[in-house]
Amino acid sequence: MKELFLSKDNYQRFLEKILSKFSLYAPLQKGDFLFYQKVSKENISDIVIDTKRAIHPLKSFFIPARRKVSEYFNSSLTLDQKERVILGAKACDLNALRISDSVYTGEKFGAEYKDPFYISARERTILISSDCMAPDENCFCNLLGSKPFPEEGFDLNLSSLEEGFVVQVGSEKGERLIKECESLFSSVDQDMIKKREKRREKAFKLLEKTNREFKTAVSYRELVKNSYDSPVWKEHSESCVDCGGCNQICPTCRCFLLSDKKVGEKYERYYLWDACLLTGFSRVAGGANPRKMLSQRFANRLFCKFYFFPENISIDACTGCGRCIAVCIGKIDMRKVFRDLAVERKIPVGLENE
Amino acid sequence: MNNPYQPIKTKILKVITETPQIKTFVLKPENYFKFEAGQFIQLTVPGVGEGPFTPSSSPYDLEKIEVTIMRVGKVTSALHKMKEDDVVGIRGPYGNRYPVEKWKNKEILIVGGGVGFAPLRSLFLSLTHNIKDYIKIVFCYGAKTPQDIVYKEAVLDRWQREFGENVSFRITVDRGDETWKGKVGLVTTTLDNLDEEISSIPESVSVVCGPPVMMKFTTLKLLDVGYKPENIYLSMEKNMSCGIGKCGHCQLGKFLVCRDGPVFTYDQLKDIPAIWD
Repeated sequence: MKELFLSKDNYQRFLEKILSKFSLYAPLQKGDFLFYQKVSKENISDIVIDTKRAIHPLKSFFIPARRKVSEYFNSSLTLDQKERVILGAKACDLNALRISDSVYTGEKFGAEYKDPFYISARERTILISSDCMAPDENCFCNLLGSKPFPEEGFDLNLSSLEEGFVVQVGSEKGERLIKECESLFSSVDQDMIKKREKRREKAFKLLEKTNREFKTAVSYRELVKNSYDSPVWKEHSESCVDCGGCNQICPTCRCFLLSDKKVGEKYERYYLWDACLLTGFSRVAGGANPRKMLSQRFANRLFCKFYFFPENISIDACTGCGRCIAVCIGKIDMRKVFRDLAVERKIPVGLENE
Repeated sequence: MNNPYQPIKTKILKVITETPQIKTFVLKPENYFKFEAGQFIQLTVPGVGEGPFTPSSSPYDLEKIEVTIMRVGKVTSALHKMKEDDVVGIRGPYGNRYPVEKWKNKEILIVGGGVGFAPLRSLFLSLTHNIKDYIKIVFCYGAKTPQDIVYKEAVLDRWQREFGENVSFRITVDRGDETWKGKVGLVTTTLDNLDEEISSIPESVSVVCGPPVMMKFTTLKLLDVGYKPENIYLSMEKNMSCGIGKCGHCQLGKFLVCRDGPVFTYDQLKDIPAIWD
């Protein structure tokens, strides 16, 4: 993979160049948190790409909470073609796109029925990711075999150093963007790469330390197998208030509901985010509901991540971003759920990294 | 743009009242539309919403599609108020079909409950289109009361005359009335003494559709009388919203009912917890 150097000053020029040609979205610092926002000349200095993931997952850019998908028999809906740049996505964000890509564009989820809205949103987006350097206490990508820095799925990736950034070019789209302002980039030397590796290792060690007590001797995929009747689901869902917040904030939760309405003389169809934690999610007409109990819905969400997706596309539908832990008002922590599933089966937990 | 969420404009040609709760809608889509028995469609009531239904007409009839629908919720209540010449929308067909080509030269048992007859009618019409391909069809059906029997004229009379010895019917109601001369009992009671009509149960195929509790006890009884799990075909009811493998509502174990079903063998489902709920 091609690697270049971007100095701190040139980084600012690069952002200005992007801003002059595209809409730019990036994590902006607000209090203790980072929020994805549209960047303008006024807030450009609030961009922070070298700490941790933003509060929002990327999914809203590709699967908005509400989107008009049809005007019934009239096919005049058009797709937005305007290119845009998203800056500062983290590895956990990019990994989550593998799940939504598989559902909306992949071969395994209805190959004949690709979603034109999702596809166009993906195609018109240039993704500039960056290394995560300050994972917080809820982050656990390491427990799922991931790293806090992107390895694939980006157009460009920026690794922050004291003096600037090591830039990796991950795609043709990224290559094109570099070409537009080639003079800003110079070549990298081995010293810079060494520094980058050191910083990456530091972030990974921090994750290992934070999650030491949760580390289970077998994978989450193994732990959900045959666990349907485990009391752990009931125990951990006792403080769940059924709000669906974990679904909404999860970068890989992608379920939706089609909803129709009459607008004047016209009919419109929307897709709206839905949440499998909510009672009505699997209810059928007439009232039968296969997941009446909260504990069943709670378990189902994790079965979906660690059984349904692995069975279908051989990857876990969880990236360890920890947003579900951060958002939960019942203080439910899925690392503890899996720790207890392991304890129940006398599988060792709290392991040192070998 | 090829938009999978956009319905095809469809005219209602006729509405047939089957029972106090069930109507059959005869539909004519504006575009060419072909389905196979067992597949489902998404039917749109303009401004109200969509629901998944399996057509009840013959897949060989390209002039129209019939859908038999019980009034139970928002969409179906709105649909029941619609009349001839009104416009609805359809998308599809989606999902898999009954693998009838695998059933050639076999004895076939069909078991239906209530409005679960609908997809089985489509199957029955499809099988009888090539009746010589099959050794025998035994059609068992149960309704709550005589007035809840759907396609009454066909099932109690016309089909029995039309297809002669190759086809037999076992019809029952949970509760009879003064006019009812037939059998009274749950649909599972029609599965007693099956060997009088089916010569080799382990080799024969059974197809079940009805309410979840009926499917459960019917399946258990079929296993009990000697049907193999891989020869019991079930049409699973879930709340498909998109129909195209994306929205996640119809997940069942590792399957999506819209993509991998709605027709499953019991063998595929037997290890999934709570399939009958």
